[in-house]
Amino acid sequence: MTTHISPQMASSGTQHGKFEPYVNNGGTTLAIPGKDFVIAAGDTRLSTGYSIHTRQSSKVFQLTDKCVIVTAGMQSDASTLHKTMHARLVHYEHAHGKQMSTEAIGQMLSNMLYGRRFFPYYTFNLVAGIDSKGQGVVYGYDAIGSYQSVEVGAMGTGQSLIQPLLDNQVAYKNHQLVPSKELDLERALSLVKDSFTSAGERDIYTGDSVEIAIITQEGIKYETLQLKQD
Amino acid sequence: MFLMRSEYDRGVNTFSPEGRLFQVEYAIEAIKLGSTAVGIQSRDGVVLAVEKRLTSVLLEPSSIEKIMEIDTHIGCAMSGLTADARTMIEHARVETQNYTFTYNEPMLVESCTQSICDLALRFGESDKEERGMSRPFGVALLVAGIDEYGPALYHTDPSGTFVRYEAKAIGAGSEGAQTTLQEEYHKSMSLQEAEVLSLQILKAVMEEKINSTNVEIASITVANPKFRVYNKEEVQAIIDQLKA
Repeated sequence: MTTHISPQMASSGTQHGKFEPYVNNGGTTLAIPGKDFVIAAGDTRLSTGYSIHTRQSSKVFQLTDKCVIVTAGMQSDASTLHKTMHARLVHYEHAHGKQMSTEAIGQMLSNMLYGRRFFPYYTFNLVAGIDSKGQGVVYGYDAIGSYQSVEVGAMGTGQSLIQPLLDNQVAYKNHQLVPSKELDLERALSLVKDSFTSAGERDIYTGDSVEIAIITQEGIKYETLQLKQD
Repeated sequence: MFLMRSEYDRGVNTFSPEGRLFQVEYAIEAIKLGSTAVGIQSRDGVVLAVEKRLTSVLLEPSSIEKIMEIDTHIGCAMSGLTADARTMIEHARVETQNYTFTYNEPMLVESCTQSICDLALRFGESDKEERGMSRPFGVALLVAGIDEYGPALYHTDPSGTFVRYEAKAIGAGSEGAQTTLQEEYHKSMSLQEAEVLSLQILKAVMEEKINSTNVEIASITVANPKFRVYNKEEVQAIIDQLKA
């Protein structure tokens, strides 16, 4: 990292590295909700600059039997956030005798992020789960807790490559004719896989493999797809 | 006055050699001096009814409030030192609002009751900064509400214990009232039947003749999960259905 030394500091003999608490570790996440399912995925590459630190760092974290979170941004903040959320969820289950609903997790994460309004976690989150009506739902967040339910959500370094395509192919934004057939799991899964393969072609931070969580009322299944390693 | 009382009934957190906390037991006794309150859970909602002791004709009946809302979906009736209940309800109101702020959904009735009972046990605690509570609460509550699991009714006492009931009476007339409840209550009871039964019981245990000003009744239903205290006309309509 670059160290900035002012003339005064140099003459007085003291050296101070600039406080740089944030690093972008790259990577892409994606989530698509369906009528009775939801898919969440994240690639497993972890880098800074031109170095790849590992090819198997997960961005997907399971919160409950029907809810996961996928986080892009800075790995250490993501890991701390996931651990804090896990602690909250375990405590909630003890206190209230049930698992937290996906909607409740959505609100809680917003509060947790806003709680660090003036020293935010460098994380961009997607919460994907089955809601209390049995429908798939995805909440997308900014770093300080603003959130909304989305029709399709992509985050991280591959966001700009994937989001516009899926806005067109999943949300049918600005289409004159919207297909009457609703999105099924098979098509959603194939879109997720193609999105990551395509992002991996152009984004140097996306690659190695994709971890895909497929959530239905029955539970969560995981799939892994290999990507280019270059 | 103090005859035969050991010194173990002084400290609120001192066990007697027999393993009893006298101050807590006395607090539970205090409730038996309070006005009667009845709660009945039915298949489509919960009813709370209380007697109001109007000790003077000059007293303004509406100023006696023995049924209060905690959140839109939870309410409670009290018996005993009602001033203490206000502290507990204030606490419960903060807890339910905090819950909704944090999770964007209504709190469970059981969790709300638990939070009230957490407070009930904080007597005798104090440090330099904070003045704690010097004695147990002298009040029992019937907490009624609707959550994702349906209608629920809980009873709390000064020891911080809470138990779920299908029908429960507290206060001076509770013994007789509970016996009647055991005889008359059935699981398939409608809300209307529960309304009538609750006032029928109050009528039997009250010293004064029942009328629309000396009882208070409230309910919450699955169809409309908003806790609501009845107005005078509605109370009168139920009184009119009572058996002589």
